[in-house]
Amino acid sequence: MLAYQIRIAWLSLKRNPILSSLSVIAIALGVAVSTAFVTVYYIHSGDPIPTKSDRLFYVEMDSWGPDRPFSRNRPEAPPNQITYRDMKGIMTSEIPTLQSGMFVAGLIVHPPDEDQRPTRERIRMCFADFFPLFEVPFAHGGGWDRISDRGPDPVIVIDTATNDRLFGGGNSVGKTLRIEDRNFTITGVLAPWRPSPRFYDPHTGPNQEPEGIYMPFEFFRIFEVETDGNMLIWDDSDGNTVEEFLASEAIWIQMWVQLDSAGQRQTYLDFLDAYAMEQKKLGRFQRPLNNRLLDVMEWLEDREVVTEEATGMLVISLLFLLVCAVNLIGILLGKFLARAPEVGVRRALGASRGSVFLQHLVECELVGVIGGVLGLGLSALVLRLINRLLDNGDQLALDPTMVATGIGLSLVAGLVAGIYPAWRICRVAPAIHLKLQ
Amino acid sequence: MIDMQSIRKIYRTQHVETHALTNFTVKIDAGEFVSVMGPSGSGKTTLLNIAGLLDTFEQGSYVFDGEDVSKLTDREMSRIRNRRIGFIFQSFNLIPDLNAFDNIDVPLRYRGMGAADRRKAIDQALDVVGMSARAKHYPAQLSGGQQQRVAVARALVGSPSLILADEPTGNLDTAMANEILDLLEQINEMDTTVVMVTHEPDLAARARRRLHLLDGRLIDIEMDDRPTPLVAAAGTTAPVRM
Repeated sequence: MLAYQIRIAWLSLKRNPILSSLSVIAIALGVAVSTAFVTVYYIHSGDPIPTKSDRLFYVEMDSWGPDRPFSRNRPEAPPNQITYRDMKGIMTSEIPTLQSGMFVAGLIVHPPDEDQRPTRERIRMCFADFFPLFEVPFAHGGGWDRISDRGPDPVIVIDTATNDRLFGGGNSVGKTLRIEDRNFTITGVLAPWRPSPRFYDPHTGPNQEPEGIYMPFEFFRIFEVETDGNMLIWDDSDGNTVEEFLASEAIWIQMWVQLDSAGQRQTYLDFLDAYAMEQKKLGRFQRPLNNRLLDVMEWLEDREVVTEEATGMLVISLLFLLVCAVNLIGILLGKFLARAPEVGVRRALGASRGSVFLQHLVECELVGVIGGVLGLGLSALVLRLINRLLDNGDQLALDPTMVATGIGLSLVAGLVAGIYPAWRICRVAPAIHLKLQ
Repeated sequence: MIDMQSIRKIYRTQHVETHALTNFTVKIDAGEFVSVMGPSGSGKTTLLNIAGLLDTFEQGSYVFDGEDVSKLTDREMSRIRNRRIGFIFQSFNLIPDLNAFDNIDVPLRYRGMGAADRRKAIDQALDVVGMSARAKHYPAQLSGGQQQRVAVARALVGSPSLILADEPTGNLDTAMANEILDLLEQINEMDTTVVMVTHEPDLAARARRRLHLLDGRLIDIEMDDRPTPLVAAAGTTAPVRM
């Protein structure tokens, strides 16, 4: 019966193509806008690492100057990065299961093909734990070991795109890549990895792709490279030499730890407090004790990765879809009531009110689904436009969940638009129209 | 088949009350061929609509084939219309988007029959009305007489026990009208009760019993002298002159 009703609905749509097109366009516009903004919201609000987001913690320590808080707007918030000396200090702890300080640097990479020109690449400087910490997937090989952190040994991990670009794909483990004036051996090639948002360093853009190359942290000293991200300092202690800079109060490092239980978390927080108290004795950490551990979702909320604007736009876009659907009520009502004589005939031939209602609802849902498919196409274009405007790469795109959401929204819109007209037409007294047709 | 007792039907608008049927009592037995005559507004179509469970009434009782109609739900009435009643209308009322075959298919769809059974029944109905060659034609491609033949096929495809025809020849020329009447007689001979509203005395005369309505009342019942084996004391329950 459903197939029959879909066929009847399709014939009805064909009967009045202009009106049907208007109805479809109304739904398509609503679905396009709402799906686009649901996608923006979804990408920004989703849990990027659901398997362990409650066990990964971002470390914040208040090493800021005594005169004013790090953030004027949120005086209770400690600085959002830490100093090199504090990273070294707290990484002596064996409490976390895994831990890594990190930052992004820009270094010159010499492609193995000498015809290609050297390029400046964004490289994540991190520790061996980075890969297991964030469950980074490997296509070939793996990360380096902790001993290589200490050397540091000239080892790197590259991502799929970099492997394809520089080595033409395949298993490049063991091959070397020249970066600045050194050769690095590749220990691993990542499988495609795109945490969304890029939670581990939202400072440099939550929608950015992860870096293409990963290198032991301590190479920054050898290359004397500064962060490509944010570096802030509250005094003038950064000095002129690398050693002076590293001993300064400059904050530029993101620090992540894995703590698997509430007890472990508390022990580590106690450790951080004890560390801060020691630093106070040295004349540092002059502000009130304020260390924080934020899990992934707390951290993203703290960084306002899902902005109020995104939430607002989501609500507005859904309201827009509602307006489109409500506008459609009038169009459908007129269309259905004009068809009352045919409904009268069908009633005479044995259609119950229920089946008349259902048949018209199917027609509304058909409008919804056609509009939804069209809307999803438009939505993909809208997202490409947003990507281009925000320089996001292809971060915002429709995945199967969003396609399903779009179709779901179009079905709801079809229902909202159709339920009243379908109810009205099924209540029409059949006898009145039979004589008139 | 049809047993109406003291039916009253009033159409109300904001200012006017129209008494379409007043204290209307009639009994039509299975297998009868009854014509209903009367001037416009005399209640003929209302009678047919109520008889076909397409309209309600304010007062009285209606027992259709042993079932008290007032106690039936919409779903039950739809089921009766679908399985036991066939309608034929003056303006054919074919669905313009559907070809002849699919128009005849409509009542069978609501019955939930399988595709093979439906096809068989439709082919048979098309054959009875002589329209097999035009099964794929759309209403707009058919003459008035052909459209009414398709409508007759649609009415009889579900093997109903009652055919209600509301001026089925009103839009047809005399030759066509006679053909349709022949068909109705043929259907009646298969023990299907036929109730036909008509303005034309010649056509009405072909029914065995003729009800005359005026202002919503039954004013006369004419019987022909042919034997009516299934009619038991027809008209005795109806007020003959009021």
